Amino acid sequence: MSGLGYTIPAVLAVVAVCALEFGVLRTGLFRRPAYWISMVIVIGFQILVDGWLTKLSAPIVIYDDRQTIGIRFPFDIPFEDFFFGFALVTAVLLLWERRRHRPDGSEQL
Amino acid sequence: MDRWQYLTVLGACLLITAPLELFGRGVYRQPGRALAAILPVAAVYLIWDGIAVAAHIWSFNPRYILGVVAPGDLPAEEVLFFVVIPLCALLTYSAVDSMLSVLRRRLAEVKRR
Repeated sequence: MSGLGYTIPAVLAVVAVCALEFGVLRTGLFRRPAYWISMVIVIGFQILVDGWLTKLSAPIVIYDDRQTIGIRFPFDIPFEDFFFGFALVTAVLLLWERRRHRPDGSEQL
Repeated sequence: MDRWQYLTVLGACLLITAPLELFGRGVYRQPGRALAAILPVAAVYLIWDGIAVAAHIWSFNPRYILGVVAPGDLPAEEVLFFVVIPLCALLTYSAVDSMLSVLRRRLAEVKRR
């Protein structure tokens, strides 16, 4: 650990996504139970897929250990991947939610 | 066969989540809304990814990718990742959301009786 070239951008991505919601879009996504239930499901599947991609015995993606905080759990998943994935999925859901169809047929923009 | 691994993982993700399209208004049936949600985020992540690869923060094992290179020196599979994973997430969210809506409507009906 010295560069933190993955840790810092990963944390910043989460901060940026929260800033996008609370400062700009205000979709209310974080107040929707469907979002949190979906995130639990997504993280469950992320552990399987990401675990396969990053397993140290036969990695598809190879990380420079000096650029991460060094925690690899569960399996060999770099801890930063959960920030990376959370920000990726949340950002997409925010943009999706922005164009939610209201029950009266109008669209929220 | 090993070189198909990354692509196979992505294909499996699409296959497993495909039935979720049956719930509610779906995702594939709203292609404009889906692309408007996926593409801007994918663009930002591809820039991040390109920088990370150029800075040797992470790399891709040539054993498990086909070797088709996209602009930015990224494997084609990695570019697809930023479309496939968001699609899976949208399908999950859309399905959970419509299930909760149905549940809420049923509860309201029961209360009215």
